[in-house]
Amino acid sequence: MSATRRVAVVAGGLSSFGVRSATWSELVQEAGHAAFGNIRNFSSKDVDSLFVGAAQPERLAFQSHVAPLAAELLGFEPWKILQRTELACASGQSAIRSAYAAISAGLSDVAAVVGVEKMNLPSMAEANTSMANVLDRAWDGVHGATAPPFFAMCAQRHMLEYGTTAEQMAMVSEKNHRFANTNPSAQFYSKQFSRDKLLKLPMVAPPLRLGDCSSMTDGAAGVLLVAEELARKYTDTPVWIRGTGQHSSFHNLSGAGSLSTWPGLKAAAQEAFRSAKLAPQDLDLAEVHDCFTISEIIEYEEIGFCAKGEGGTFVQEGQSDLGGKVVVNPRGGLLGCGHPLGATGVAQAVEVFQQLQGSAPPARQVPGAELALVHNLSGSANVHSLMIYGREN
Amino acid sequence: MVATSEAGIGGTDPRAAPTSKPRAEALATDKPPRRNDPVPQPLPFLLDFYPQEDPKFTRIAAFFDGLRKGWLTTTKCDADGTLSWPPRVACPTCRGEKLTWVELPRRGKLYAFSAVLGGAPLGMEQDVPFVVGLIDLEGSPLRIFSRIANVRYEDCCIGMEVVLETFDLPDGRIFYRFRPPA
Repeated sequence: MSATRRVAVVAGGLSSFGVRSATWSELVQEAGHAAFGNIRNFSSKDVDSLFVGAAQPERLAFQSHVAPLAAELLGFEPWKILQRTELACASGQSAIRSAYAAISAGLSDVAAVVGVEKMNLPSMAEANTSMANVLDRAWDGVHGATAPPFFAMCAQRHMLEYGTTAEQMAMVSEKNHRFANTNPSAQFYSKQFSRDKLLKLPMVAPPLRLGDCSSMTDGAAGVLLVAEELARKYTDTPVWIRGTGQHSSFHNLSGAGSLSTWPGLKAAAQEAFRSAKLAPQDLDLAEVHDCFTISEIIEYEEIGFCAKGEGGTFVQEGQSDLGGKVVVNPRGGLLGCGHPLGATGVAQAVEVFQQLQGSAPPARQVPGAELALVHNLSGSANVHSLMIYGREN
Repeated sequence: MVATSEAGIGGTDPRAAPTSKPRAEALATDKPPRRNDPVPQPLPFLLDFYPQEDPKFTRIAAFFDGLRKGWLTTTKCDADGTLSWPPRVACPTCRGEKLTWVELPRRGKLYAFSAVLGGAPLGMEQDVPFVVGLIDLEGSPLRIFSRIANVRYEDCCIGMEVVLETFDLPDGRIFYRFRPPA
């Protein structure tokens, strides 16, 4: 069944990402200023719905019931749908998908979306503790399962089965950090990481080194989604949601399967392409969830940019760089920008919005970009969420 | 599903677990090694990773009763044979509530492993560095995640044999992990 109304992104913006001297609430205000501060013909009263992507405010900011708090901070008084979405690392995209569903179903006309996470705390051990409850806390987290050892095992199996190398993983990090050097909002905007330097950084969870891992980051981002008939009220260059897909395969790690293949991503990508009536080779760029370097390599394969097992070669040949088959993570990815859980999916949407408008910084603008994909995984790659955006509807 | 011991531990209804007795004759009498390796200080309840095992708070207290006897157990659906991990009170295949406790193998082989070298959660910081892995239980369809104790990362390999051990928490709870055979 197709959506009843088309949905456009008409504005987007984000806070600076990094180890920020700012609270959860202050980050929301920064994103509100950047995303909703300068929209043509826009009034706060237009916003009938607000979706807040936030993964762990109860833990990391000791605050629940955050949707009305965000509404107050942003000056919105939603009267149709107000909700917070939690899907760990995909909480931000989950908020966008919810807004998309509401507008396409006719339950909302103008929906604001904010994604936010405050992760750097005076007690980082408590933040690390919270990260371990994303997995099955009582049965996997209790043994010390956090993201790094899980994705390290994926890397171990992928290296064993397909010959992927540490150098190829470092190439992902090198590319994304180089893109982050074009992005003043990125956590590592001013930090240079050569491949040689990356391969000498300390191990976090072998075979993953520090440069293979995204960071604990503070940040927030926002986008404004509207029904098709309102799109050109707010901008001359709306960007359109063309399709979406999602798949949840397991939660306890006993269901993780081979680790080197992610069939849930393959299924979610197929649904996204089916709903958009597009194929992987149609895309000009993709913002994919490079929480770890090995993630981006497996994502090339499962999304369909290359054959299974050839992800390492794909990055080595420059196929995911400017001038390659598809430009992957031009804003700098999670590796270069940092990964504030709730903000990441929205920040990726902001990048795609600017890329498809042709308004990204020249150093990373994909020439003539018309179609883009956003992918988030969450938890132990047990859930995959994708959206496809286009310049034309 | 092969070689999974069909010994019923605590009958078919997990809710009856605290008072029911296992069919001991079907279970091995030797126990895996058991160590006292307590977490140094009690953590606030909402930062405590270990499951609640008091029957006042859980319907799978039989799992922990089994651990005290040296058994790693889980539930199997009477209706469709689904072997769950972790133990359930309703079958995730048919949602049926008639489940039987079965013992799982105490040996297995590493399918994949890594080590935590930093950034460990509270209560685990003193363990760093430590090894974790996914274990193919011997003769069982289950592949479960566990801490791998008593071994350095450098000394592990895929396919390495590991065996079950249980350990006590300072507040009287018990839990399990794996380690190389003695």
